[in-house]
Amino acid sequence: MTATVTSPPPQRDELKPPRYRTIAGAGRGTWIQYAVLGVVALLVLAPVVPTLYQSFLDRPLYEAGGVFTLDTYVRLFTEANFGQVALNTVLFAGLTTVLAQLIAVPMAVLVVRTRLPLGRLAAGGMQWPFFISSLILGFGWITMYGPAGFVSVWVRDLVGTVPWNLYSIPGMAITEAVALAPIAFVFCSNALRQSDASLESAAQVCGAGPLRILRSVVLPMLRPPIVYSSVLIASMSIETLSVPLLYGQPVGIDVFSTFLYTNGLQAIDPDYGVLGAASVIILLVTVLLVWVQVKLLRNAQRFVSVRGKATRPRQFDLGRLRWAGIAFVAIYLVVGALIPIGGLIFRSFTQVFTPLQSPFDTLSMANYERIFTYPAYIQSIWNSILIALIGAVLVSLLAMFAVVVARRSPFRFGRLVEYLSLAPQAMPGIIVGIGYFWALAYAPASIGGLIQGTIWALVIAFGLRALPGAFGSIAPVVMQLGQELDNAARVSGADWFKTFTRVLGRLLTPALAGSMILVFVTMIKEYSPAVFLAGAESNVIGTTALELWVQGNTGSVAALATLQIAITAVFVGIANRLLKGRSHA
Amino acid sequence: MPEVAVRHLVKKFSSDNKVTTVLNDVSFTVADGEFFTLLGPSGCGKSTTLACVAGLERPDGGSVAVGDAVFADAEAGTFIPPEGRNLGMVFQSYALWPHMTVAGNLALPLKLRQLGKAQQRERIDSALDKVGLVHLRDRYPHQLSGGQQQRVALARALAYSPSVLLLDEPLSNLDAKLREQARAWLKRLQAETGITTIYVTHDQHEALALSDRIAVMSEGNMAQVGTPTEIYEKPAAPEVASFIGRCNFLPGVVQGAPAKGLLAVKLDCNGENVTVQSGLDLPHGAKATVAVRPEKLRILRADDEQPRHPHSVVHGRILRTAYIGARFEHEIAVGDLVLHADSDTPGTTDEVGLLLDPATCLIYPGETALPDEAAELATITS
Repeated sequence: MTATVTSPPPQRDELKPPRYRTIAGAGRGTWIQYAVLGVVALLVLAPVVPTLYQSFLDRPLYEAGGVFTLDTYVRLFTEANFGQVALNTVLFAGLTTVLAQLIAVPMAVLVVRTRLPLGRLAAGGMQWPFFISSLILGFGWITMYGPAGFVSVWVRDLVGTVPWNLYSIPGMAITEAVALAPIAFVFCSNALRQSDASLESAAQVCGAGPLRILRSVVLPMLRPPIVYSSVLIASMSIETLSVPLLYGQPVGIDVFSTFLYTNGLQAIDPDYGVLGAASVIILLVTVLLVWVQVKLLRNAQRFVSVRGKATRPRQFDLGRLRWAGIAFVAIYLVVGALIPIGGLIFRSFTQVFTPLQSPFDTLSMANYERIFTYPAYIQSIWNSILIALIGAVLVSLLAMFAVVVARRSPFRFGRLVEYLSLAPQAMPGIIVGIGYFWALAYAPASIGGLIQGTIWALVIAFGLRALPGAFGSIAPVVMQLGQELDNAARVSGADWFKTFTRVLGRLLTPALAGSMILVFVTMIKEYSPAVFLAGAESNVIGTTALELWVQGNTGSVAALATLQIAITAVFVGIANRLLKGRSHA
Repeated sequence: MPEVAVRHLVKKFSSDNKVTTVLNDVSFTVADGEFFTLLGPSGCGKSTTLACVAGLERPDGGSVAVGDAVFADAEAGTFIPPEGRNLGMVFQSYALWPHMTVAGNLALPLKLRQLGKAQQRERIDSALDKVGLVHLRDRYPHQLSGGQQQRVALARALAYSPSVLLLDEPLSNLDAKLREQARAWLKRLQAETGITTIYVTHDQHEALALSDRIAVMSEGNMAQVGTPTEIYEKPAAPEVASFIGRCNFLPGVVQGAPAKGLLAVKLDCNGENVTVQSGLDLPHGAKATVAVRPEKLRILRADDEQPRHPHSVVHGRILRTAYIGARFEHEIAVGDLVLHADSDTPGTTDEVGLLLDPATCLIYPGETALPDEAAELATITS
């Protein structure tokens, strides 16, 4: 010890550390962490547990005197013809996955790695499914390419017959593949952007031409993203309701989701036991696929060496072949998305939509007038907006808390919070709908009756489906904020919750806003849980459109679809403008 | 101001079903007003020790106390969270909150202590004045240079007059020149405030220049605690000697004690005998390692006068000489070992003698466990 110690220390006026109240021996942080776990667990388990329970009961679970039975599973495969349904689903999902990859992989290589005219525009165009739901895409495809579609009729006039049949499993798969290809595109193009350019330079030095390099160096690198996105696309096409419902129902092709729809909604006396058993089996399949995804992603990350240094990917010159390339990209975007969506929007402004008579002769606003004369239809638009707005705020807040509890707290069950938050990925929308329907039916009348048939039931169900996306958009931002920022606040005298309100929460505000946009867009497109949950007063755009579709009111469906696209675009536009304005301030 | 007492600290981390012991029975006491440094290579457990004192990690065994207040006691199940400990801490990354101004950063701990606006202002100004940054009070952290950020972090840690100041490698993100200035400035500030300070670093120069006492840590254990002079001149273990400064290690066999307090050792490298001052009682024939620092070796020319007992000489050949400005560094082959020696003059002849003063030589029982890589570099392969 040196002289500094012997000199009398200067006058010090020490402050007392702040005091925080404890409740039942635990700080408020612990209570909040348990509360987050409780909310997330309740949200996830509420639809699952009643479904499991129902699948082993011989009568609806809300009726007294239920007897435990395995008979439901037997009947599912004998009477209900579930085997054929499973086969259809496998065919549909398999074909969709293959077609989506056939579209996405060449597209990613062309857009990212070759000098393509309008390449950036094409890359931006691949984001269209963000704004347009697959239900709307299905309407659009039928409007243009269906048996009586605009393009079909035009082709029949030209060659005497329509060389395709949309109402078939390949027809369903092509439409679904068009809708899901952008997912594979994102994974492949990210992998291509991150790839090391020196590998290709090495091949070039060895005398390989551009095509040779693409084939032997670039494509093998794409194997991990292709495998991963294939599993993702397969699981999404298993749970989708829209396209199978629109195409398969009229001709009697059933897949998992439409089987539930038919047996739960259209049967006069629905067999809840069989419905529950089918839900449980489908749930097992989707959970398995999500589990495979998680495993694959973990393995993939182990083999990818991410370098801090960003190397600009080289772009090959394809020469004359580039015109073939741009044609390929253009055909996908124009034929797959632009013509059906554009046609649907155009359809909404005409009375008669066929090449036999110029649609410009019957231009009118009648389709919109019909929607706006019926209060029920107006109500459903308001419901959609309201649900998406409320959901955007609530789900994003819940997701933010869940991320912070999972990643930035000493909470013992943090990991569990994360798994539960991501679990709805494996829950098809229609099963979420059935599950909550049973949960509300089984719940004490005071709670069940209060929520049943109101938009709050839909906020909860749609919100559950949007939770994984919100969690996934906030988590990376939290991981980028240094742990020392929290530690500094803790040592300075803030407890866990104060650290959140004063430091972490403030720094997460932009991520929260981004999550709100994402959740809003997800929820305004959502409808499949509402098929079971919506009451007379709580229809949304999607369910109303389906209803009008069944009535043959295609013009009004087109008008509703156009309105939904417009609402999404306006909201995203305003939100982006606001966010930009704030970041410059 | 109170003293800090850390007793039998144990910390284990488990990941993927594997439990690694990061701290293994670490004990030390920091006196009131002392500048105490935890020194060691990365992964030795020094930062974990600091985190246990701060309350950011919960120890699996042992206790931490400041004055009369027990912060953590694993046996009694006591654990006070960081916000209840009233400590000041500066982090390696400075951890300034990016959404607040300099004054805002300093104000938060004061607001949490529910201080009035006027008092807050007074304390913020006085803390910023100490670090000479009052004029930057309304800037945001990203508008400051690295050195300024580091000073703001220190001002934030001092503004609420904590009982102990914890510094976790606060200078390691500064460039070399700035670091030296910051070191002197930090030392002065600590002396002025008289606050008990625990400092964590892997930089031996920082540790030697700043500390009242240093604790050298190695693989979760306390290797030695002592003043800078003790640590440098009388390292308790070969690991300490090799970590602090540079050191030559010469394995050999004890040949008995020529006088009280002296040991004769026959070196394995070339069979020559050296005499070393030591309180150790090693029997004849025991394996031992002689350690000597490069600057303590004197290079003898042929015409230099021969040494008197008990000084001893080992003979070798200069392999290389490097001029590094302040001195010359020589690599000298002695048998199959390469020794390092410093001198003020360039090496002129190949064959030289190396003079060893028994008082500056150290001896450790057994063969030193030099890291393989270092051992390889020190051996001539021909």
